[in-house]
Amino acid sequence: MLDEIMKKSKPKNIENAIKKLSEKLGNKKISIKPADLFSYSHDYWLITFHWLLQGKVPAFPDVVVWPESREDVVEIVKIAHEEGVPVYPYGGGSGVLGGAIPEYGGIVVDVKRMRSVQVHEEDLVVEAETGINGHYLEEYLNKRGYTLGQIPQSLYPSTLGGWIATKAIGQFSTKYGGIEDMLLGIEAVIPPGKIVELKPHPRTATGPDLRKLFVGSEGIFGIITKAWLKIWPYPEERFLMSFASETLEDALDSVRRILRRGAKPAVVRIYDKIETKRHFYKFDEMYGKVGTVIIVEGDPKIARTEKEIVEEEFKGKPMGEEPVKHWLETRFIVKEVSEFAPLGVVIDTIEVAVNWSNAAKLYYNVVNAMKSVKGVLFASAHASHFYPQGVCFYFTFAGLPPKNVSATEFYNQVWDKAMKATLESGGTISHHHGIGRHRAKWLAEELDGAYELLKKIKHVIDEKNIINPGNMGV
Amino acid sequence: MPGKWDWLKDEIGFSNLLTGGKMLLKVISGKLSVDDLTKCALCPNMCRHTCPVSIVDGRETTSPAGKARVAFMIREGRLELNLENLEPLYMCLSCNICTLYCPFEFSVADLTRPINEEAVKKGVVFEEFKKVFENLENYGDVYGAKSEEENGKGKVLYIRGCTIRNELPELSEKALSLLKKLGFEVFTINETCCGIPAYNLGNVELFKKLADENAKKINQSKAELVITSCPSCAYAYRVLYPKYGVKLKPKVVHITEILGDRLKGLKAEGEVTYHNPCKLALGLDQKELLKDILNKIEGLTVKEPRKEFFCCGYGGSAISRLNPELAEEIAQERRKQLKDGADKVITACPSCKLALNSDELEVLDIVEFAHQLLGE
Ligand SMILES: Cc1cc2nc3c(=O)[nH]c(=O)nc-3n(C[C@H](O)[C@H](O)[C@H](O)COP(=O)(O)OP(=O)(O)OC[C@H]3O[C@@H](n4cnc5c(N)ncnc54)[C@H](O)[C@@H]3O)c2cc1C
Ligand code: SF4
Ligand code: SF4
Repeated sequence: MLDEIMKKSKPKNIENAIKKLSEKLGNKKISIKPADLFSYSHDYWLITFHWLLQGKVPAFPDVVVWPESREDVVEIVKIAHEEGVPVYPYGGGSGVLGGAIPEYGGIVVDVKRMRSVQVHEEDLVVEAETGINGHYLEEYLNKRGYTLGQIPQSLYPSTLGGWIATKAIGQFSTKYGGIEDMLLGIEAVIPPGKIVELKPHPRTATGPDLRKLFVGSEGIFGIITKAWLKIWPYPEERFLMSFASETLEDALDSVRRILRRGAKPAVVRIYDKIETKRHFYKFDEMYGKVGTVIIVEGDPKIARTEKEIVEEEFKGKPMGEEPVKHWLETRFIVKEVSEFAPLGVVIDTIEVAVNWSNAAKLYYNVVNAMKSVKGVLFASAHASHFYPQGVCFYFTFAGLPPKNVSATEFYNQVWDKAMKATLESGGTISHHHGIGRHRAKWLAEELDGAYELLKKIKHVIDEKNIINPGNMGV
Repeated sequence: MPGKWDWLKDEIGFSNLLTGGKMLLKVISGKLSVDDLTKCALCPNMCRHTCPVSIVDGRETTSPAGKARVAFMIREGRLELNLENLEPLYMCLSCNICTLYCPFEFSVADLTRPINEEAVKKGVVFEEFKKVFENLENYGDVYGAKSEEENGKGKVLYIRGCTIRNELPELSEKALSLLKKLGFEVFTINETCCGIPAYNLGNVELFKKLADENAKKINQSKAELVITSCPSCAYAYRVLYPKYGVKLKPKVVHITEILGDRLKGLKAEGEVTYHNPCKLALGLDQKELLKDILNKIEGLTVKEPRKEFFCCGYGGSAISRLNPELAEEIAQERRKQLKDGADKVITACPSCKLALNSDELEVLDIVEFAHQLLGE
């Protein structure tokens, strides 16, 4: 009764594979129940929720497996390889680009029952299995006086494995970096069922950095089962600052200068005029301006100096702590899709990165490109992650498809405009959500010759093309 | 101050108003809205991290939004209303911890309950639940035990609840003695289950029947105050009965609520942590009560558990019956979190005590602890 929209094919040997899985793992760890197959037929790619509302799903898997150890994962990958049946790693399902959709049927492997964790305090390292919930991990560290510093907005629903696989980044990234900066060691299972373990060291010069191969791999090379990550002592001091600037350029340039001087505020977020109105309407003096919130934290002495640098460099009226407190209180509230999608409103967010020299140009080009699509009601952005070299813009659009245009067509039109404008303005098509199935069509253009290299690497690791086939278009 | 949605009105502009913006304006003015189950089904699981089932079970299907999605598809007739599809909906502890983090303040238990109720009405019922319904129908006791006791009369009625009567009778002795020491003249009656297991499992009719029986007995006893040992009973009497139009004349409190300042000044040594029973902390909105009481005891070091709220695994009546292994796994997870606080745990619910007490963790009901401090 639930139609499949994206299903390409059904694996030939699936019955054999299921039989073997049940023999090796026992029936408790696997399911072919309709409710389970339904639950893993999608992730959080937004357009697919318009399909769900109409009783359509992206694609059903044939079986779901919940391994409890890396040995279980080895068995699964072995069986999949032997039988030539696709396998799709699954974490929190909060990925927003369809990266976990079982397009060719087969086995979904949900690693969330693998969630052990342990801290090595002297080394400032945490060791955890990848199914661990993001918030659970951070709370575990906080209780012991540490932080990972990885606080994506999806902290509550997502997993460590998903973070590594999508190259995720948190709101506090300007100080702590993205997941790639935290990752010291990794364990993964690759075809035909082999464990690869790269142990954690402060640094190692042992050939190309193979750990990085799995960062942003989006489940196409293997299943990541464990990771070792850098941690920090929980910050003793925290300063909250906010500013109202006349123009986006003023605010961007302020942050550029702050970072050039070597200060690393943990959180920096610059909202364009629309989003300042949207998020900070309670603060009269910010209304109609470009609002920025900044958090500096860490060792008290260092933090104080960084705070001074921010104050010296920022071009804009200081607005005090309140807007930042407001941001802290509201940063995990996610309601829009629930409230508007059932009424036909198509919403999504698009995050891209660009060097400073092209930053303002890219912002205007992308906003204008999205607005040029008939039916778009608004397009806006904030700059959410910063580097001495440039910035990430996080765009939001919403619209109502015109008559005779389906939600999916409309959605693709807006995305296409945004992606093309990004490439034309010298940006990269993704800063942290990754590629998934949706963005695959623009990846080849961005990677150019390197796209072939990616495909070759994929083929060498996974010659039968069974690990998340179709993801990223490879 | 500008309004919450002024930015959107500015952006939509006049031309778009004609095409579709009008509808958006209806939404923001509250004239048009989406129903709660649909909203939850479309959420990216923003409360998953607080849901004990989701953390431990790990299945998308039993995650908060996962359950809402299955319920949504059943409601829309896209998934069949059968036991196999109902199973994930029953993988819920009715703890309402999700509500604490939900931007809409939803309780997944409340959102999916209508589906379970419809199933019971249509006779789509798990065998494991039929036995419970039978016990409740025939004996007014979840365990199916027969109570022979006389009905007493007086001002303060003490109600033990099924778990204490059947599994922890010594706790009721201690509670009676403690209440006496604190100056309460209490009496007991031949109890009937408050009905919460029937409610949790979707049998509203049975729940209402038990509620009526309770109301009759309690009102006839002429009590002015009812003190319960089980937070679920207090929750049923105080929160659920009024919702179903069942009136209890006396005021109802959980025993922890009357301890309040009465333990102040008592002395103890060592370290404890606490486990908040869901129905007391969230059901009766007493989030700080247990911690506050303990903090007033002189000389006692009160450590916070790693998670302030996390069900013991045995709430909600369904999981412990359909999937006892999962209930035990949740209890095991909770023990680990509590041990991050201390090795000795004070709680205020007989079921939580039964679930969590183990070789590695000493778990006392606040009644037992107070009883010890006041000198047995
Ligand atoms: C409300 C919301 C806010 C968000 N905010 C942020 C943000 O601030 N920063 C950010 O970076 N992202 C954000 N995201 C995107 C998303 O949360 C991240 O991409 C996250 O890392 C996905 O993790 P997951 O565990 O949910 O992975 P899933 O969605 O389950 O999977 C994502 C991809 O990773 C693969 N994968 C998952 N686990 C493994 C594994 N163990 N081994 C190999 N491959 C695996 C899957 O096959 C899939 O391709 C947000 C999403 C939502 C819905
Ligand atoms: S209860 Fe609230 S936070 Fe949890 S899944 Fe439903 S809508 Fe999301
Ligand atoms: S009521 Fe408790 S068990 Fe049920 S979904 Fe909410 S948090 Fe999870």
